[in-house]
This record gives sequence, structure tokens and C-alpha cells, in this order.
Amino acid sequence: MLNEEVDLFYKALKDTNLLTIEHLTKQYIEKQLSPLVILNEGLIAAMERIGQEFKAQQIWVPEVLLAARNMHRAIEMLKPELIKTKTEPRGKFIIGTVKGDIHDIGKNLVVIMMTGAGYEVTDLGIDVPRERFLEAISQINPDLVGLSALLTTTMLEMENIIKGIREANPSRPKVIIGGAPVTQKFAEKIGADGYAEDAVRAVELANRLLRERS
Amino acid sequence: MSHHLDTPKRRVLSGLFGGRRGNRIGVANPTSIISIELMKKVGIFFPEAHLDPQKMAELAATGHEIVGFDSIMPEFSVQQEAEALGCLVDWGSPNMMPDAKTHPAKEAEDIVIPENILEKPSMKVVLKALEILRKNYGDHVAIIGKVMGPWTLSYHLAGVQEFLLWTLTDTSKVRQFLDRLKEVSILFANAQFQAGADVVVIADHATGDLVSPKTYQEFLLPVHQEMNQRIGGPTILHLCGNCSDRLRLFVEARFDAYHFEWQVDAKMAVKVVNHEMSLIGNIANKGVLFGGSPEDVYKQARYSIEAGVDILAPECAIPLQTPIENLRAIVEAAKEGYQ
Repeated sequence: MLNEEVDLFYKALKDTNLLTIEHLTKQYIEKQLSPLVILNEGLIAAMERIGQEFKAQQIWVPEVLLAARNMHRAIEMLKPELIKTKTEPRGKFIIGTVKGDIHDIGKNLVVIMMTGAGYEVTDLGIDVPRERFLEAISQINPDLVGLSALLTTTMLEMENIIKGIREANPSRPKVIIGGAPVTQKFAEKIGADGYAEDAVRAVELANRLLRERS
Repeated sequence: MSHHLDTPKRRVLSGLFGGRRGNRIGVANPTSIISIELMKKVGIFFPEAHLDPQKMAELAATGHEIVGFDSIMPEFSVQQEAEALGCLVDWGSPNMMPDAKTHPAKEAEDIVIPENILEKPSMKVVLKALEILRKNYGDHVAIIGKVMGPWTLSYHLAGVQEFLLWTLTDTSKVRQFLDRLKEVSILFANAQFQAGADVVVIADHATGDLVSPKTYQEFLLPVHQEMNQRIGGPTILHLCGNCSDRLRLFVEARFDAYHFEWQVDAKMAVKVVNHEMSLIGNIANKGVLFGGSPEDVYKQARYSIEAGVDILAPECAIPLQTPIENLRAIVEAAKEGYQ
């Protein structure tokens, strides 16, 4: 896809009018372009640019939420086409805020950015107990699990969940953690594979961990 | 030799208005410093302390009695108004703060402000607790009240993500929400002064990490200016995140003081606000008050004092597992005076 075309997707993701992204996506589907190209080279590339702007504090959360809303709509339109091509996602990712945690804006931003980066994301939601994480992991067999905590009490629960995951399988999935009270030091202490300070860095960390694995 | 400004209340009030200095800086808490350890010491726990005025007042007083702060602030949660405005609130447990489970307003017309809102149990409890504290401590300790600003109330009523998205997609709705809900903040703040508060914190979470300075300027600045005109006593703005890029806007909003985070460098902040507004802060929670040693806390506290901050405080409501000795280390650093 040409740079000018990626620009169109970038502008459409930033447009408050939902019709802009709808028209653009429809136009590209009608061009008989592979839905994978539209997704990877158009939407994901545009979303990555938005992620970088967010990281550089050129834009803030409302702009990210708007881009996510628009991208979600585009993916909905692409879905019937994507199913036909049987595409594999970049990786499978499960996320939840651990037991006793109820603040999910940070976690939701990670969901937005990971989806935007081409991962298949399963969001277990808020206040997720250890058993639910382990059950979902055995069903979905994800490449990565993200645990998020905003409260200090739930930090301790993270360690508990990581223990359970490692007991079941010492090397898969990779576990990444984040949240206001969490630090890199803490991540190392409890045996997580990585810590990310924000949603954009979570995507970078996930990409790196999967590259190192393969 | 003891100085005439050497009572807890004088220290805080003087710092609040950037006034004459006594022997040392005041130590105050615009946000909660209650920890599980403090709850155990007096046998009063969350969630009862959010809803019973006597328990609320007694637990709040531990911040002065046990930790040695110069202030007492009885509102621990951010959900007192939310319940009165119709949100279903889960009042939590000793190790979990309350949280609004429902967000009943999709449109400004859905906002229902009850005529007798100050009589609603979750708000009345704060007024009663302030009365008790005024009676027991008002002669020597600074009594701090707290209300949520209209931005925070909008989060409660509409949901955080919905409301933030509207700042781009439906700006008139955002203005309507703020316009209606500021009335609750003003009413509650003035009632808290009548009940005995020396100063009222306005917590309004348009935080530096969520929205831009421009968003603050366009939507909240005029609202905060109006609030500060209509609230009769001194106000402290609590608005967290890294707000280094918008400190002048808070001066323009005419708050008497701003309660700020460690992410904002104290030396820079003192220079930028230029004594036109007082600064209260800014000991870090993450890695320092929680997770650090008393020595770590002491170092940050001394840095803030030397930078010229007006009142020392933790940067935000402390994690509930924060050790008492770390909170005391703030007071110890203050006791060494200004030099």
C-alpha cells in the first residue's frame, strides 16, 4: 500500500465521523484488495502511527479511544472477508486485571493497542480470579498473557497466578505485567517475562518476546 | 525556641497562602493517608469508615494522632457523591477502595441531582465527620474537606471512556455535564466550610496522563474559575498525573494551592507558579512511600522542602499497604526545618 493510502487510513482513524472509515474500508474491499493487506498495511500501520504519537504525548487518551472505535468498525466490516482467507493472527493474547482489581482504563488501552497491532485478544475483564486465568489459558493456548493491577493488594495476586501458569507449563505462555503500582523490579521478582509501562510499550514488549521465542 | 507559627494549624494555613514561615514546613494530606496498619491500630476499618461519621472521624484522626501530620482529612474515597447521584457503589473492603458499578447517565438529561443531596447518607457522613473533627481538633489541627469536581463526577455518571470520547465527538454534551455537576461540587464545598473545614480539596481527575492541557483549558478552566468564585473558602486542586505542561492553567483557575505528583519536578513547579499559587506535595507513592524505605522518603521530602514547596504531602491517596514508618519519615524530614 502506498504511503498516501496509509495516510487515508490514518486520517480516517482520527476522524470523529464514523462514516469516513466506513466509506474508506468499503472502497478498498470493493477494489478487490486482499483483506489482509487492508488490515496490515492500512489499519495496523495507521494505528501504529497513532500509538507512537500517544507515546510521544502528541495525542492523549480521547484520540486513542476514537481511533479504537473507528478501527473496530473497520475490522467488523473486514471480518467476513478475513474469515474466507483463514488468516493467522500475529499471536494470541489473553489479558485481565487480576482478582480484586476494578480499574480497567489502562488494561483497555492495552487491548486497543494489541488488537491494533494484529493480535487476537481475549479480554477476560476485571476482577479475574486465578482459576479463570488458568482455565482460559488451557482452552485458548495463547502466546502471551497480560496481567494488570492498579491496586497494591492485587500485585501479590499476580505472583500467585504466574506460579499457577508455570506449574502447568514452564515456557508457554509468556507473561507480561503492568499497572500503576508495578515496577520492572517487581516483575523480575515474581517471575514475569516482562513489564510494560504503558500500552504502546506493551505491544513493543510482546513483539520482542515473540521474536525471541521464534 | 518555639515560633508563633509552630502549631499544626498555623503551619498548614500559612503554607496554603504562601505566607510567613515558622520553624518548619507543614505536613498535610489533601488525599487519604489511611492504611491497613492504621485501621488495625484503632480497630476501625473500611468500608464502615466510609459511611459512619464517628468512625470516619476517628480513623481520619490517626493521620494526626499516630502519624503526626498537621492536618486531618476525613474523605477517603472518591465515591461519596456518586452514590447520592444514583450510581450503584460497591463500598469495598479494608484492602479495596469503593468503586461505582453503574454509570446511569448517557445524556445530560439523565443527571438527577436530588434537592436534598446534602442529606444523602454518603454525603451527609462527610459533613458530620467534619463537625466532629472541628469540635475535637479544630483548635489546633488543620481540618481538610474534599469534594469531587465535575470532571470526576462525569466519570462516575457516564463512565471514564465514554466521557473521554465525548470530548472529541460530543463537546456540547461534555459542557452540559460539567455545567450541571459543578453545582454539586460548589454546594458540597460550601457545606463543608460550614461544617468546619479550614480548606476544601477539589479533586477533578482530568489527569495529565489522560487528557491534554488544551482539553483542560477548553472545558474545565472556565468551570474551575466559576467554582473558585462561588466557593467561599480556600481551595486545593487535586489533579494527578504529570501536569508539568499546564501548571499556569491551574494558577489561572485561581486555586489557592495545587496538590501535585513526584513526576512534576518541584523546583520547576515552584519557578513556574511563581508564588501565585501554593504547592502541596509531592512524595512519590510508587517505589517510595509504598515499596521504598524511610530513607527514600526522607530524601524526597528534603528535596521538596529545598525546592520551596509550601506544604509537604504524599502525591496522592496512598496505597493501603503503605508502612506507617514511611509516612512518619515525611514528618521527620519536616521537623529538621527549612535548612
